[in-house]
Amino acid sequence: MIVTDQDLQYFVTTLKNVTKYDFSEYSDKSLKRRLLKVLTDLNLDLIGLLTNIKQDSCFAENIVKEITVNTTELFRDPPVWHLLRSRVLPRFKNNKTINIWHAGCSTGQEVYSMMILLNEMDMLDKAKIFATDLNTDVLEASKKGVYKYRFNIGYLDNFDKVIKQNPLNFEEYNDIPYEKYFDIDKLKDTITIKKFLTEKPIFRKHDLVNDGNLFFAKFDLILCRNVIIYFNYSLQNKVFELFHANLYPKGCLLLGMHETILGPWANKFEKIGQAYVKK
Amino acid sequence: MKYTRNLNLNKQILLFTIPIVVILYAASGFSVFQLSKKRVLTSTQTEMEVYLNKMAEIVQLVEGQTGQGYSNSDYLILKPFFNQTAYYKSDFPFIFDNSGQYIIHAFKEGQRIPSILLQEIKRSRSKEGFISYTDYKDGHKQDRLISYKYIEPYGAYLGISVNKSDVLESLSQNKVVLILVVIFASLVFFLTITLILKPVIQLLKQITQAVKQLSEGENPDKIDFNQNNELGQIVESINDLIDNIKQKADFANEIGKNNLDAEFSALGEQDVLGTSLLNMRQSLKMANEEDGKRKSEDELRNWATAGLAMFGDILRQNNNNLAKLSDNVIQNLVNYLNANQGGLFIYNDDDPEFKHLELLSAFAFNRKKFFEKTIALGEGLVGTCAVEKETIHLKEIPTEYIRITSGLGEAVPTSLLIVPLKLEEAIFGAIEIASFHEFKDFEIDFVEKIGVSISSTLSSVKNNIRTNMLLEQSQQQREEMAAQEEEMRQNMEEMQATQEEMSRKSLEMEGMTAAINEALIFCELNEDGSISNPNNNIITLMGCTRGELEGENLSEFIHTDEKGMFRGTWSEVMSGITYKGTMHWVDKNSNELYILASISPAFDEFGSIFKIYFLGQDVTESKLLEIRAQKQAEEIEQTLLEIQVEQELNLQRDDEMKALLQALDHTCLITELDPAGVITYINNKNIQVLGGIKEEIEGQLIAEVDFVAKNNPKEFKKFWDNLSKGKKQNREFSLTLKGKEITISEVYTPIINDHNQVTKIINIGFDISEIKRKEKEMSALIAELETLRKKKQ
Repeated sequence: MIVTDQDLQYFVTTLKNVTKYDFSEYSDKSLKRRLLKVLTDLNLDLIGLLTNIKQDSCFAENIVKEITVNTTELFRDPPVWHLLRSRVLPRFKNNKTINIWHAGCSTGQEVYSMMILLNEMDMLDKAKIFATDLNTDVLEASKKGVYKYRFNIGYLDNFDKVIKQNPLNFEEYNDIPYEKYFDIDKLKDTITIKKFLTEKPIFRKHDLVNDGNLFFAKFDLILCRNVIIYFNYSLQNKVFELFHANLYPKGCLLLGMHETILGPWANKFEKIGQAYVKK
Repeated sequence: MKYTRNLNLNKQILLFTIPIVVILYAASGFSVFQLSKKRVLTSTQTEMEVYLNKMAEIVQLVEGQTGQGYSNSDYLILKPFFNQTAYYKSDFPFIFDNSGQYIIHAFKEGQRIPSILLQEIKRSRSKEGFISYTDYKDGHKQDRLISYKYIEPYGAYLGISVNKSDVLESLSQNKVVLILVVIFASLVFFLTITLILKPVIQLLKQITQAVKQLSEGENPDKIDFNQNNELGQIVESINDLIDNIKQKADFANEIGKNNLDAEFSALGEQDVLGTSLLNMRQSLKMANEEDGKRKSEDELRNWATAGLAMFGDILRQNNNNLAKLSDNVIQNLVNYLNANQGGLFIYNDDDPEFKHLELLSAFAFNRKKFFEKTIALGEGLVGTCAVEKETIHLKEIPTEYIRITSGLGEAVPTSLLIVPLKLEEAIFGAIEIASFHEFKDFEIDFVEKIGVSISSTLSSVKNNIRTNMLLEQSQQQREEMAAQEEEMRQNMEEMQATQEEMSRKSLEMEGMTAAINEALIFCELNEDGSISNPNNNIITLMGCTRGELEGENLSEFIHTDEKGMFRGTWSEVMSGITYKGTMHWVDKNSNELYILASISPAFDEFGSIFKIYFLGQDVTESKLLEIRAQKQAEEIEQTLLEIQVEQELNLQRDDEMKALLQALDHTCLITELDPAGVITYINNKNIQVLGGIKEEIEGQLIAEVDFVAKNNPKEFKKFWDNLSKGKKQNREFSLTLKGKEITISEVYTPIINDHNQVTKIINIGFDISEIKRKEKEMSALIAELETLRKKKQ
């Protein structure tokens, strides 16, 4: 089965008509692959899929959930967390509050990683954490903060790398027990985030394409990692604009490891390592 | 005969005896009759002979008187003697001659005797005799008897005939009597026989009935008959038989009622039936005994079978819940055995280091052991039982070992049974049961059997649980795999999307780099300021080769005037601040170059500089222009001063103009136009004369408002062209406004500035309507005069 441009357009248009989601400015190639995956998984052809979408808004919602990609892990890309620890978060050390928005928080690991880091830096009390995603399922998962242990054993390595070690000083080693933040149940194969972390963030459903800023606040730090890779250039710029508009001056935007701002918004940010600082 | 055979005895006897008797009577009657007939005939013969002799004497006497044969006188004398009968009504005497003709006869004289008779008489030598003959008279047959005697004198025969019937008439009366006697005798015989036979036959009937009933299996009543004859004996025997049969039937009934001890004795050794019955009773007694034995065995077997079935059910249910299963089992087992306590231990070998028995469930179990839920193999009775795999049955139990308690008290059980749960020598646990009654062998057997069933179930339950666990695990693993697969797929998708994004970016970067290389001079700088990777533009600009340029320090190119400043710039760059500015360079050929440059450091993730980009544009020309422009600016400054003076003059001039205009404003129609033809000002006089609203007209193009422009565009164009060229234009036009003809004379004056450009056009118009009207009146008058003149001519 091949998904043609026209197929994709039908799909996007239908989805836009039935739901409020607008995928028209998503990356064609990625969206095609996801659509193909959905069609294969459901064993439907495009007509069937579109018919179902038209008839059943729940189905449409689920398709959206299927299509969106939710990959995250605790302390994903440790260098980024080193950057946050050493160069980004210290900038807000003297703030009274730190507003942090995780746009596209997925299953919440990034949110909890951030909170653990903040806690280790004694900044958690000041922080107001906002986390949003398009997919309500992953938001629910985020709220629970329960993850598979075996499959995600790498989380702990990352934890070690970010929290216990200091790349700038190899002699430094903070022996912080996992139990401080997690309950690990090897039998049930779960790694559960402690309650004091899970009850703090505000999780909201949010569509970067349509919803603008849900919170009546500006942010010191926006994390939107590995999201804009699914967007095309135009939508990327819109999102950058949104972020730029909702960052405090000198606020930071953190994109994914391989995401960069090119184009008109590039010179409105100053780059500190991986982070973009609003000029 | 067939018919007679089916008749009853009574009728048979009657049927056979009565004819015989009748025949006998008849025969004797007949004999009597014949005898008397013979006697009558003989006596008749005698009588007739007597009579004949008498008649012969008479004849003799008559002959004697008359002599000489037969004569008339004889006839006359004899005739009266022959007219009468002697004894019978028909025994008339007669005389017939040798020819057979009646000589003397009472009424047959002249007739002949039958010829047959005559012949017979003649044949007789004795000349007298007695003959029986048959005479046919008048067609009637008549048996007749004749007795004859030859009378010599007459030569004729004297005869007397008589009808036999007359002779036998009395005899026939006797015959009737005889018949009546026979009939009577027969009747008497019949009655006698009937009377004698009836009771016998009745009895026979009774006997028959009784025998018939007997033969049909019924038990008839005894026959009442008290005669000591043959019949009496038969009856007695039958009665005995009936008695006997009744007795045996009663006995058989008793046996039937299962009363095997009913009194009965055989009549004797020859009493086959009696002996058989007794034998039967014996056999039955034995069978009963055996049956009893079998029954009790059956009961036990049934108890065991029912128990096995029940436990089979119990074991089948809940076979996925070990605790519930064993609870059910032990509870039911204790109840079924009427025991008092029980416990079920399961062999647990999950931990190979500590294989032990685990008390899984207990019933009324309150001994100390209850709290010790695990028992090591070989420990205590239960442990031993599990090791030896043999049943332990204790009949004497140590007082402190186990106690059965109720609400009222406690007691030591009398019997303790520990049965291993084993299946093919594999141990699965043990059952311990305590009871106040002693366990019987069959109960122990039963528990052992149940033990096997339990073991088998435990084995399968363990397997099931293990299987379920494995299934669940595999299911979970499958789900996990699916989830992981999805996660992997998403990761893949992310990687792919990232890659695409990166390749897109790199394309963009390439494009940008290409554009930069095309348009700008670009090179990378090392931390010491040395150049690497210069692009073609910079190479061309510097007029040297790539080799010459690479490795060269940037500061080498800086114009000596700026070298000091550059050092500062460089250290700023090295501290991370991007430099932007115009640099003054000197190329290899000592040409001065101005470069608008940016020097940007690039940082790695830790914020340290790993590269410095130099980006610049050759702005020499514009820089030179700038320098020139600077010079010009100075010149302009001077000129500005001059202009200022001139401006003041202009201002003065303006004031004058204003005064003039004001004067004009009252008398003339003044319009101001910009060079494009837009009306910028119109005075009140103009409005007064030509109407319209000042604000509306102002801002409009003259071409849109102007009367001429509307009516004669060609002329207007020419007019405007001239104006635009700076030529002053006069014109005159008329129009009718509110019924009044208005004529305007206008002068358009273009205002020309220093550069010969029209900056403004001022129109001054005069209302010459009055003059024109008068002029018209004049010309009308002239025209009138002219016509008058022509008429005169």
